[in-house]
Amino acid sequence: MDFDFSVVTDHWRFLASGVGITLLLSVVSGLTSLVAGLVVALLRLYGPRPLRLAVVLYIDSMRAIPVLVVLVWSFFALPILTGITMPPFVAALVGLTVHLAAYAAEIVRAGVESVRPGQTRAALALGMSRAQIVRRIILPQAIVRMLPAFGSLLSITIKDTAVASVIAVPELMRQSETLAGQSFQPIEVYTSAMLVYFVILFPVTRSVDMFYQRVAHLGRS
Amino acid sequence: MTFDWSVVWQHRDALIAGTATTILLTVATMAIAVPCGIVVAILRLYGWAPVRALAAAYVEFFRNLPLILVVFWAFYVLPILTGLGLPPLATGLAALALNVTAYNAETFRAGINSIRRGQVEAAMALGMNRVQALRRVVVPQALRRILPVLASTWVSLFKDTSLVSVIAVTELAYVSMQIRAQSFRVLEMLTAMAAIYWLLGYPQAKLVDWIQRRFAVTE
Repeated sequence: MDFDFSVVTDHWRFLASGVGITLLLSVVSGLTSLVAGLVVALLRLYGPRPLRLAVVLYIDSMRAIPVLVVLVWSFFALPILTGITMPPFVAALVGLTVHLAAYAAEIVRAGVESVRPGQTRAALALGMSRAQIVRRIILPQAIVRMLPAFGSLLSITIKDTAVASVIAVPELMRQSETLAGQSFQPIEVYTSAMLVYFVILFPVTRSVDMFYQRVAHLGRS
Repeated sequence: MTFDWSVVWQHRDALIAGTATTILLTVATMAIAVPCGIVVAILRLYGWAPVRALAAAYVEFFRNLPLILVVFWAFYVLPILTGLGLPPLATGLAALALNVTAYNAETFRAGINSIRRGQVEAAMALGMNRVQALRRVVVPQALRRILPVLASTWVSLFKDTSLVSVIAVTELAYVSMQIRAQSFRVLEMLTAMAAIYWLLGYPQAKLVDWIQRRFAVTE
């Protein structure tokens, strides 16, 4: 067998635009799901009871449904239901956020619950309000403990953006499919795409680990 | 807007067959990935240095790749590598197994490493050999920590089987999207697909929660 990687070097601009979209989608959906996850987790922990049950149902449902299904549903079915047509990138952003916010919420909840209840009681005894306790006692410790889990969530986010190729978001996976189909050299194209994804993801996982080792002592109590 | 849900019932046989394939893929992948994961973890922990590096490289590589890309790659590369015209189901299974084996290997390695070294040393001081210490001291404790992680890998795997739909494996996602394309009942079919995944996945997610509570390790 002969491999000719010139197909990749000749079309590097085409692939690089895909890398750009992959990174953009990862960063934006990472941020939106982080914010949404924080809100969902606070509702789950401190919200009124009916709301809490609804939030638990939402979180567990997202843990049960594949991200592919969420993405396909928000691109093809949601416009039929609501009458609003979204471009693929926006649909992917919505789908990924809805999916990943549930995971982010679980991370936040686990972090908050890892702070011993005795500390909350002590703070209440000192006359702090609920909001003060969350802000001053719980979150500073919990955020550090959440970091490793958020690091792996970030790498999951980057990997999940590749699934957005099924709704034609022109990110790296989609661009690779297009190029592979047109050039009839799928092996060269997909192997290169693998290397690019690895080069993006490996430093993310590694630097999160390293960063955590430096700040881990801040989360001890 | 009118919806015609009868389309779901009309295609019930295809949907049931697709669901069965999804379950089959999950079970078969795990059946391959657990023993292979154990082997890779052992190679990575106790192997000869180059083998250890190779095992580590394999694990890191596949943990840092989107599965959907591995599926496409396997679809085009496996036939050339093996010289066989593999059916999509076998290709999908291979891609899933490659991916989950890497995750399982990491789970097993972390589980074994989580048992303090002092315990092995104590066991050896009592006159056990390495294999005995591993079998009688390390593994029974490590299993408690491994099982909850394996359970959540199982649920992830169940969901990830949907990704092999891109190479036309006739599992639930592929079947539903085929019916959608033929019948033009987009919302009905996609909702039915989501509902079936939910019905199957929700109890599994709850079971994972229970296993995690049941086997929680308190230091």
